[in-house]
Parts: sequence; C-alpha cells; structure tokens
Amino acid sequence: MPLLTPLIGSQMVDLGSALLLLTCFAIVAQRRLSSCVDLFALQSVFLALTAALVAFLTGIHHIYIAAALTIVIKAVVIPRILKRVIERLNVKRELQMNVNVPTGLLICGALVILAFFITQPIIPLGFLLTRDSLAIALAIILIGFFMMIARKKAVTQVIGFLVMENGLFLGATAAAYGMPLIVELGVFFDVLVGVLIIGIYSHRMQDTFDSVDTSKLTTLKE
Amino acid sequence: MVQAIILVVAQTIVLLAVSPFLVGLIRKVKARLQLRRGASVFQPYADLAKLFRKQPVVSTTTSWIFTATPYIVFASTLTAGLLVPIFVSSTPLNFAGNIIALVYLLALGTFFLMLAGLDAGSAFGGMGSSREAIVASLTEPAMILSIFAIALTKGSTNLSTIVHKTALLEGIATDPSPYLMALAALFIVAIAETGRVPVDNPATHLELTMIHEAMVLEYSGRYLALIEWAAGLKLLVFLTLIANVFAPWGIATSLEPAALSIGLAIYLVKVSGLAVLFGVIESMFAKLRLFRVTDLLGVAFILALLGLVFFYVLRG
Repeated sequence: MPLLTPLIGSQMVDLGSALLLLTCFAIVAQRRLSSCVDLFALQSVFLALTAALVAFLTGIHHIYIAAALTIVIKAVVIPRILKRVIERLNVKRELQMNVNVPTGLLICGALVILAFFITQPIIPLGFLLTRDSLAIALAIILIGFFMMIARKKAVTQVIGFLVMENGLFLGATAAAYGMPLIVELGVFFDVLVGVLIIGIYSHRMQDTFDSVDTSKLTTLKE
Repeated sequence: MVQAIILVVAQTIVLLAVSPFLVGLIRKVKARLQLRRGASVFQPYADLAKLFRKQPVVSTTTSWIFTATPYIVFASTLTAGLLVPIFVSSTPLNFAGNIIALVYLLALGTFFLMLAGLDAGSAFGGMGSSREAIVASLTEPAMILSIFAIALTKGSTNLSTIVHKTALLEGIATDPSPYLMALAALFIVAIAETGRVPVDNPATHLELTMIHEAMVLEYSGRYLALIEWAAGLKLLVFLTLIANVFAPWGIATSLEPAALSIGLAIYLVKVSGLAVLFGVIESMFAKLRLFRVTDLLGVAFILALLGLVFFYVLRG
C-alpha cells in the first residue's frame, strides 16, 4: 500500500484518538443532557472508526467485530435508552454541578497533562502502531472518572461511566490491539445491562426524591 | 524594493476592498436563511460612503481619546492585516513583525475601543467596555496558545514562513492533531473576537446583549465609518488567518502574474466560503448568556493547550 504507510496510519490513529478526546471536552462543557448523550454517541462513532482503522492496519479481524458492536451498542442502543430515560425523568439540563464548567475544563486539561506525564516513560518501550493513543486513552478514562465526580445528576454520571468505558476500549486497542473477542463481548453486555439497570434505578430515585440528584442519596436512612 | 511597495499597496487595496463585501455576504446569508431577501451584498459599501459624508457628532464630555480611537483602531487593524499572507505567501511587512505582533496589534485596537467606550461617560459604553474586557482577556491566552502550537509544528513564528511551508507541503509528516486542536480553538477565538453570534450579536442594539455595539454607541459620521470598516477588516484578518494558516493551498508562492491571479481568485473563494460558514453558524446558534461565554472560551483555551501538549506527545 503506497498511500497508507505505517507512519501515516499511525498518525491517523492518533488523529482519531484526538477526536475522541475532543468530544470528551465537549461533553464536560455541555449542560444539556440530551446533547451530552448525542456527543457520547458521536464519540462512540469516532471510537469505532479508530478501531476499524487499527483493524485495517494490523489485519486483525476481530477488532472489526468489536468496532461494529461499538456502533450498534454504544452509538445507537445506549443513546436511545438514555434519551428515553431523560424524557421520562423530565430532566433537561444540569443547573448545578459540583464544579463549574470553566474550572472543570481546566481540571480536565490538568488530567490530560497528568495522563501524558504518567505514560511518557512507558510509550517509548512499546512497538505497536497505536502506542501514542495509550496516553489519550488514559486521559479519557480520567476525564470520565472526573465527570462521575463532578456531575450530580444520575444520567450524566452514567455518561461519565460510559466515557470511561470508551477510554478503556481505546486503551486496550492501543496497548494490545484489543482484548480477546470473548472479553469484548462480555464487556459490551455488561455495559448494556449496566445502563439498563441504572436507567431503572434513576426512575426509582425520581419516584422517591422527585430528583435524580445523587447527592440526595446521603439522606437515605433505615 | 519597488516590488515590496507594490505588494504593500496591492494588499492594502485588497484588504480594504474585500472586507465590506464579507460583512454584506454574512448579512445576506443570514437573511436568506431567515427566508428574507436581504440587502445587497454591496450594501456595506454604500453605508460606509454615506457615513463618510455625514458630519460626526462628538459629545462635549469626551477627551482626545474619543476622536483619536477610530484612527488608531483602523490603522492597527490594517497593519495587522498587512502581516498576514493573503494571496502571496511572502507578506509585505514580513520584516516588521511576526504572528505575536499581529495578536497584539489587534489587542491594541480593542484596548483603545474599550477606552473610547469609557470616555464618553455613558452607561452603555462602560458596560460594553467591561464586557469586551472579559471577552478579550479570555480570548488572548487561547489565541496565543493555538498560534504557538502551529508555530512549533512549523518551527517559526513568522506567518510567511508558516504559510509558505504548509503551501509547499513541507513538514507535512508532523502529526495532524495539534493542527486540528489549534484550528478549533482559533475558530472559537475568531467568533468571539469579531463579535459574532454565540458571543455577541452585531445586528442588535439591545442593551442586555450588545458588546461591541455598546462600546461604539456614541460614534457617528466618519468616525463610525472608520470603526465599522475596522470591524470588517478584523473579520477579514481572522478569516484569512484561518484560511491561509490551515489550508494555504493555492496561494502564490512566487511573484509571477499567473500565480498571483490564481492565488487571488482562490483566496476570494476561501474567505467567501468561510464567511458563508459564519453566517450559517450565526443562524444556527442562539446567543450565549454573557456568563456562559466563559464556558465557550474556556473550551477554546483548553483546545489550544491540548494542541500544544499533543505536539510534544504525539510524534508518530
């Protein structure tokens, strides 16, 4: 292939990972819940494209299956479930956060630098095409974690969890060209069931507290 | 030497002639998207001509700053425009300054506009100035960082060198991610700096929302004409910066007449395309609340920072 040299291929993988990180920041800056869900779906599409690109570059076929599953489950099914939950709960936007948006963005920027700093000694030891994406994957995991802490509504915390999962998937692809297919399938199933259960729990929370603000859960008493 | 002088004159003429057209084009696009017919794209020229003929009214409470500001703003913006490669990759004022000078020439104009807004002593002017100060102080770090990200990938802060290298596809082997981040950041900065819709609305005089319009509320006659023309020039400078730094292909890299005319034609197509895009963005988005503007500009800052970090981390 004259057009797709390993160097250009590796750069395209980096570009895909950078787009994933870009959508992470968009989610952090977004207050409207349905837009958060849309952005998550977009991020999953970018993830699938990056994974498909890795599959194409390496010729490892089971990554194609994982990419296709990512499109179906994370870009179509889970966003639909979340949209329905949002509609039923009647929560449109998040007005209160534990950290305001500009501070949150700055913290996320610091997290990215931290992730790059941590992975810096490891990356030169790798020999895979995708080794640079490891830093970005770690950054996405940290940002997802931060979102779960910074946001109060159950729905956005789920999105933080899903973003973390996307980061893990990217990390697995970057570090080892993907996990074995059986593990991937298990993870997809887990995530899907997890989202369903959290959706149902959110309804229960709404019934009990008239709100899906998880900070109110501390008032639960026997 | 003669060549350089001809280039300066040519670039000045292009800048001055094209900028009102872009303002008109954006208005036209917005009008068409709202199913109105809209004024002709050449309306801003007629407006400027009319304003230049009118007698300016200057409040007795103002100082020399008020009358000097239009000239300073116009001159600094035009000089900034001369630092950007437009249709030929070597700029006439190449020797005089780099991309950092460009940023601060634009900032100089903004600073004097803020002073003039305060000078007349009206409540609106002061409000506009204070808002502009918020926006300007937040866009500046984002703009400088995104520019550094580009300058690092090309190894130069000189705009001519950057554009020339990109146009000739030199150093294209560097990772595209820093570019992408810097482009996104610079795009947000351009919208904020030129007072376009998610940040400011150029078409309103409603006190709750206006920023740029509030500062220049006291101006009339030829002073207003100069300020409006300078605003158009600033828009053109930003569009040119985006078009020529990130996609300089087609720009003339030599001084042959054929290359120059092709470069000019492609340049006009590029900036018109970007102006249409700005018009579409203005129609698609609602104006942000003033306190939400910091969120948007925070995103721009982080993007620029990421571009810079990516340059060091992602090296193929």
